Parts: sequence; C-alpha cells; structure tokens
Amino acid sequence: MTDDVSFEDARRELEQIVAKLEGGQASLEEAVALWERGEVLYRTCVGKLDAAQGKIEELGKRVQEAQP
Amino acid sequence: MKVEPLLYGDRKVYTVSAFNRGVASWVARLPSIWVEGEVTEFRRQQGWQSVFFTLKDAADGACLSVSMPRGRFDGLRLDLADGMTVHVFGRPELYEARGVFQLRALSIEPLGLGAILAGLERLKRKLAAEGLFALERKRPLPVLPRRVGVLTGNEAAAKRDFVTAVQTRFPAANLLVAQTYVQGHAAPAAIAATLQTLAREPEVDVIVLTRGGGSFEDLLPFSDERVVRAVAECDVPVVSAVGHEQDTPLCDHAADVRASTPTAAARLVVPNERELRERLDTGRTALARGANAALERARSSLTRDRERLDRAPALLVERKRAGLDGLAGRLQALSPQKTLARGYAIVRTDNGIVRSSAEVESGSRVDVELAKGRFGARVETKS
Repeated sequence: MTDDVSFEDARRELEQIVAKLEGGQASLEEAVALWERGEVLYRTCVGKLDAAQGKIEELGKRVQEAQP
Repeated sequence: MKVEPLLYGDRKVYTVSAFNRGVASWVARLPSIWVEGEVTEFRRQQGWQSVFFTLKDAADGACLSVSMPRGRFDGLRLDLADGMTVHVFGRPELYEARGVFQLRALSIEPLGLGAILAGLERLKRKLAAEGLFALERKRPLPVLPRRVGVLTGNEAAAKRDFVTAVQTRFPAANLLVAQTYVQGHAAPAAIAATLQTLAREPEVDVIVLTRGGGSFEDLLPFSDERVVRAVAECDVPVVSAVGHEQDTPLCDHAADVRASTPTAAARLVVPNERELRERLDTGRTALARGANAALERARSSLTRDRERLDRAPALLVERKRAGLDGLAGRLQALSPQKTLARGYAIVRTDNGIVRSSAEVESGSRVDVELAKGRFGARVETKS
C-alpha cells in the first residue's frame, strides 16, 4: 500500500505520526495502530534510500537524434 | 510603370511577367528600413553576383530572404555566420524573375553588446509580463529524487563538479546525464529539445541545467527565448546552475531554483544521505518511545482500576456500617432516656403510659419508670 507513496509523503506522514504519539493523546489502540503505520513508513523511506543504486547513465545518443 | 493587361472580353488578365513587374514597382516605392533577425542559410560563392541568407525571427521563426551584391558584402569585412543576430538596412523588393519577395541589403551590422543587452532586457520584460518568472510558479524540489536529469555541455568541468558533489552527499543517487550543445547558434534549440527529452525519461524527478563559466556571449543561449520557455514549461522542477555567481542568464529566472555553481546545485537536488538516515532513525526511536508511553499509560490506568475493584467490597460494607451508625445516632436522639435523666418519670398502667389523672383510679396500681430503675406504686389521691 505504500509502494506508490513518494519519499516526501512517507516522511511527512512519519513525522506527523511521531508528533501525534509524542502528544500523548492517543488511546492504546490508536497508539499501536500509529506505531505500526509509522514502522511501515520508516521502512518505506529506508527502502527508497536503499533502492538508489548510484547509476550514472548517459542520454547522449538519443539527444543527438533530437537535434534539429 | 504602367502594366497593360490582356483583354478576354470583360476580363483583364495579366501575364506573370507583367504582374511581377507591377508588384515590384509598387514594392519599390517602400522606404529603406532596418530589420533585425538571426542569420540562417548563409550562402556565398565565388561565381555569384550576390550573397544570400535568410533572416529569421528568433521568437516565432518568421523568415525573410536577404541578398546583397557580393562586392558590397565583401567590402563590409563581416565574419557573417549562421546564428548571428544582425541588423540589416535594406530596401524591400520583388525579384521579378522568380516572383520572390526579399530584402535588398545595403548594409549589415552585427548586433553590438548594447543592442544585445537591450534585446535581453526587452525579452525579460516580455516574459516577466507573461508570468514566466512568477514566484507562485516555482515548485519545491523533491527531497529524494529517483533520478536526477543533468543537462550539460561536453566540457568536463561543470559535469565533473556536479557529479562529485552529488556522490559526496548521496553516493547512491541515480543520474541521467545528457550532453548537448550549450554554445553557438544551434545551442538554444538543442538545449530546449534535450530538456524536454530528459523530462520525459522515466523516474527523472528533477533536472539540473549546468554549464561552466564563459563569456557573456557564451552564455547567451541560456537567455534565448526558446530555452527560457522550455525551462518554464518543463514538467519536472529545474535547477539552473549556469556560469558563475555573477551571471544571471534569463533561464535562471524561469527555473524553479537558481544555484550559483554546479556544486551548489548538487546540494539542492540530493539529500545528505547520512543526515537523512539519522533523522529517519531518530523518528523511528521517537515512534517506539511514543507507543511505549501509550502502553505505560494504559498499563498504569489498568492497575488503578484493578486496585479500585479490589477495594470495592470492603468499601461497600464500610458504607453500610456508616449508614447504620448514623441511624443509631438518630435513634438515640429520639429515646426518652435523656428526658428521664433530667428527673422526669414515666407512669404506666396495664393500659400503657399515663398522660392524664383521669386514666387512673384511687388505689390502683401503677408502674413508675425513672432514669435509673423502676418501682411499683399505688394511687393515693387524684385531682
């Protein structure tokens, strides 16, 4: 469910959840649900960081074809 | 010049030659004027009487054929080449043999620095009026782009600076580098086209336009209307890192963010991986702490409830006892004992408490109750 979430959105939601939990207003059920969601978001973010492979590709050839 | 038509009944018909001659004589009455445009298709050959080129309007591509006698052209000692912007002073004319409208050039002047600056200022005002530079158009850059598109020239320095800076901050960043012409008359169209191509590549979330320092003229393509528009219309956010700190080509205004150097651009488009991971881990720790705190709260409130539950039966007896004591008190307050203690006595017969002398007979027996003890008595007299 979080595959199509962008890194920014995931991180923003994670921060909101942390703030909500730190606010101490949540009931136990809510807290557990928030924590589970937060863990998913954390793993999504780290996963996206890990997914970058440091690839440097060249677009040279196709650009030459795009010349007028 | 009078041009005579042929007559076919009522219809006047002109030969092509007569038509061209007529229009040519009309065009020839137009005044000589200055025209500004970009030189394209410049043609000069030894055997030809004239040199030819096409003047093109950079904004919309409108074209005008220009010719100039070869001797006069050579006399100007111009190093005319395609892509140059020039002012041509000439006379509009129709080349009768082919019916082609053209400008007969009398003089050609390459645009001087002042004229170029004035042109840039005009373009800047025009594009600003269209809202291309408006702040509300600026888009935020992604924190973690899946791929970074890099548009650069084939000179190595800017590209190397950028790539090195990216790899220092975020070694795993994915880059898609497109090299193209960034200088000369072909550059504007090439930059605009490459920008579009890069933006259409999958996963490219941000594009960096970068070019090392150069002369004012070298950087001109980055102020070309086509490039500025391509930057403004680009589907993904664009960071402009062209030239040095003091250079502000017009594409800087259209870009979402301007970076002073390629290294600064790298800092803008990729996160510092170590910092980002630390922040994420801090968030995760806070998350666990928050969840644990909620758990603790629930646990202690549960303990409190349990204690109250434990105390409940004893409390109930306590409460009933207290109620009973209250009743006893009230009961006591109502008892006659205190009255008796003050010296009163209760006199009873078999019929109950005596409240009137009429209830007893002389000689009858009564029972007398005092605060302490009781005794029997006989009624002597009564009144």
